[in-house]
Amino acid sequence: MNLKALATAGTMALSTLLGSTAVNAETLTFVSWMKDEKGYGDWWNEVIAKFEADHPGVTIEMTKVARAEYADTMFTMFAGGNPPDIVHLAAFEYQPFADTGWMEDLGPWFEKANFDLTGWAGQGTCEWKGQTYCLMLLYTSYILAYNDKLLADGGAALPTDWDSFLDAARKATRDTDGDGVTDVYGVALDTTIGTTMMGDLLNFVLDAGGSWTKDGQPTFDSPGVIEGLQRWKTLVSEGLTPNNTGSGDLRQLMSEGRIAMRIDGPWIYSATRKAGPDVIDHLKLTQSPLDPPVGGTSNVIGMPSSLSPEKKELVWDFIMLAGSAEMQDRFATLGLSPAPRPGLDYTEQEKSVPYFDLYAAANKRAADAGIDRMPKGLELEYNQVAKIVGEEVQRMVIEDLDPAATAATIQKRVEELVAG
Amino acid sequence: MKQSILGRFGIYATLTVICGILLFPVYWMAITALQPVNKLRQYPPELFPSDPQWGVFRELLARQPFGLWMWNSTLVALATMILSLSVSVLAAYALSRYRLRAGASMGLFILTSKMLPSTLLVIPLFAVFTKLGLVGSLWSVVIAQATLIAPFATWMLKGYFDTISPELEQAALVDGCSPFGTIWRIILPVSAPGLAATALYAFVLSWSDFLFARTFLATSQSTWTLNVGIATLKGEYETDWNVIMAASLLASIPIIIVYLVLERFLVSGLASGSEK
Amino acid sequence: MIDFSSPRHRAKFGYMLLAPATILMAVIVVYPILLSVNISMQDVRIADIAKSEPWTWKNYRWLVKSGEFWNAISVTFWLVLFVASVSLAIGLSTALLVNQRFKGRTLARLLVALPWAVPEVVAAVIWAWIYDGSFGILNWFLLQLHVVKSPVEFLADPTSAFFAVGGAMIWKGYPFMSIMLLAGLQSIPEEQYQAAKVDGASTWARFVYVTLPGIAPVVGVTVVMTTLWVFRDFSIIYVLTKGGPLGSTSTLSILTWEQSFAFFRMGHGAAVGVVTMVLCLLISRALVGRFAQNVH
Repeated sequence: MNLKALATAGTMALSTLLGSTAVNAETLTFVSWMKDEKGYGDWWNEVIAKFEADHPGVTIEMTKVARAEYADTMFTMFAGGNPPDIVHLAAFEYQPFADTGWMEDLGPWFEKANFDLTGWAGQGTCEWKGQTYCLMLLYTSYILAYNDKLLADGGAALPTDWDSFLDAARKATRDTDGDGVTDVYGVALDTTIGTTMMGDLLNFVLDAGGSWTKDGQPTFDSPGVIEGLQRWKTLVSEGLTPNNTGSGDLRQLMSEGRIAMRIDGPWIYSATRKAGPDVIDHLKLTQSPLDPPVGGTSNVIGMPSSLSPEKKELVWDFIMLAGSAEMQDRFATLGLSPAPRPGLDYTEQEKSVPYFDLYAAANKRAADAGIDRMPKGLELEYNQVAKIVGEEVQRMVIEDLDPAATAATIQKRVEELVAG
Repeated sequence: MKQSILGRFGIYATLTVICGILLFPVYWMAITALQPVNKLRQYPPELFPSDPQWGVFRELLARQPFGLWMWNSTLVALATMILSLSVSVLAAYALSRYRLRAGASMGLFILTSKMLPSTLLVIPLFAVFTKLGLVGSLWSVVIAQATLIAPFATWMLKGYFDTISPELEQAALVDGCSPFGTIWRIILPVSAPGLAATALYAFVLSWSDFLFARTFLATSQSTWTLNVGIATLKGEYETDWNVIMAASLLASIPIIIVYLVLERFLVSGLASGSEK
Repeated sequence: MIDFSSPRHRAKFGYMLLAPATILMAVIVVYPILLSVNISMQDVRIADIAKSEPWTWKNYRWLVKSGEFWNAISVTFWLVLFVASVSLAIGLSTALLVNQRFKGRTLARLLVALPWAVPEVVAAVIWAWIYDGSFGILNWFLLQLHVVKSPVEFLADPTSAFFAVGGAMIWKGYPFMSIMLLAGLQSIPEEQYQAAKVDGASTWARFVYVTLPGIAPVVGVTVVMTTLWVFRDFSIIYVLTKGGPLGSTSTLSILTWEQSFAFFRMGHGAAVGVVTMVLCLLISRALVGRFAQNVH
């Protein structure tokens, strides 16, 4: 019977090990794709450390979920009735969660705390059907990141509008060692289906005077969108951008000195800081040559409506801490871009990052033109719209279709989608 | 029968070519893991690393709680194996020795468990485990995986038990041994190869689990298994292929060792199961 | 205390032994199926599991009208055909090969089925790197052999993406075939071969009249298991293409995930899942009526 005793002991030991990972009651769970990220991830760590110091006995367990799997992981957790205590979502994806009644209306909380939201950048996007579901954490607009050496090597000037942008892209795209394979790409577009691709495409649509929707109605077959699609097709089919490459890869290629230009958010600055010494000095930022620049809200923080009142108080303290002047100032320092809280003084940050004026000017350009990368009126269907647009744009490039026909197909599919 | 020299040479040559092609991806994973970053994107690629970087493993372990994930994967695989084996031994014995009407639906049962798209299962299961308070606990993955593995394991074991003569047990029963005692003392010792085969099957399948772990363990990084960690690495360091491959290599080594040790039982266990 | 060894209680003891398996199956398999059927009959974007809306066929009507669904059916069909047939060919030839008597066959047996042990996520990640459009080793091989003139984006073109995904799945799927078939080959009694040889049958004739009938049931079972695996698999396609480009690798399993998790349309997702389940049921009934009977 020794074998049996051994097996029993082994099983019991195993069950203790498996069970020992249960979360204790004094823990707030917090899921974010930004954990371990340079910049924003460091900022979250500071907020958490400060919160834990202010609330002895309470710990915050932060877990990373990759951006690619983020929405469906959050969705499963909410649908299964076990959401994280602190809800961190992209500004373009919180709407279905709020619409289902999963998120707490923060309006009364802001009122009770006497928290003034006037001038808080992008906060309007946190309003859904008349209620406030979140605090906006970042409003930003796109700028042009470029490698001045690669542009000079190709004999291209810094672009100031679409025509000079295309010209620079053509000149900078080169096969440097003559093996028939392109080594340096003039531009970098996200050509993998998704919301990032929608954002990249929007650069050209906006410059051509178009927009995704007008008064909440889809306008994918408008002349501006058709012109935007035409420009996209030119850049991709002439091989001026790496194909089938996502934004993460593109930023990596940029750090390796293989991309001359990319229009992106200010995060591209921190993302390319790991570039080697021969590349980093040539990476610079300037205003986007396209007008108005793509701008918009980025990510938000809120809380689930199903939390216990005690936990809600704790999470609210956390949200208030993240929005406090002190932490917002740290946000600008660590995230290397302006924080949404109005009235902050950026003289300190200007010393280490020379681009705060540029960011502010770009944000003003986008905000003045009333730009948000979210298609207004299609918030609930954004992922699906992004997939339709992505598919049809890929089809346009692969099958060499007329952009006007592609635009008409997109419009038809989106209208069918909205009609249900 | 003596094979001709030519025939034997033919077998070895064919085997070398086939294994070379089939195992190349595994080789390439190991080679990529050891390449320095700047050589990953070089044409022509190096088929053998001239300058292997063993530091990549240290870097990986320093950057991520990889040891912990490996420990979790091991626990999950072991517990899944024990649970699915215990359940299947009992069920297989019942189906092999008793004429049960339920036995008729067994074939259907096995297939049903293989038919559900796991993408359909995850939301209902998440709700079930939330009710049981098991979300964020490795038990959730263990129970779900063990249940999906049990039917095929039962089928394998039943085939094995069928080959064991019932006379042994009858003698034991006559000697006053309880029915459970009979299974434990008579059946299990003589079915060791069948058990080993089933254990390997359960181990490999649970080690491969991704969707369940990703869904049920998402909220707490300290409970992640290797596959969740690798998928996240892939999303995060999209282009650091050496780091991703180093992680993949570490995740493959334990299961490959288990496979190498137990493989011979798998074929013989299955062979006796499919004899009838 | 009931005496389980008495004939009267024998059946009871049998059912008692089956109880743990049955309870687990009820909670982990049967209940989720019922819940999914329920969700598939509700007109909801995001279902609340605690309460149920009135039933409607709306999701199934969407299914029938939707191009994505019929595309997924056709992609799944072709992928099953491609993966199952090539896996069977590789599985059978490797099994036959290592079933020969030669020195080192133990090692050879281990090696040919090794990919079976490699976790799916790892397999998918390895292949993603091999297929890489700019720096992948496959492109380099093809360039060396002058099959292509410039690097191919395997995962960007609908046709090549389909075969790329299929290739990765074959690599992960054939070893199980090989193992099962080898087991089948080893269970063929040696006497049958001897008898055939005495009758003067050639090697080919022995293969056709002894080997094939001997392993036919195992071939049936393994083909069905591989088919069901392709139907259900998520990790490999998800890591490689997420169903794209242009839906060329969007199987029913991917469509279920996409509708439920990416588009937040659980009603649609559940309907696709339920149809997948019914299809799998029909296919396995048709293919392995024998297997189902064989088990008891």
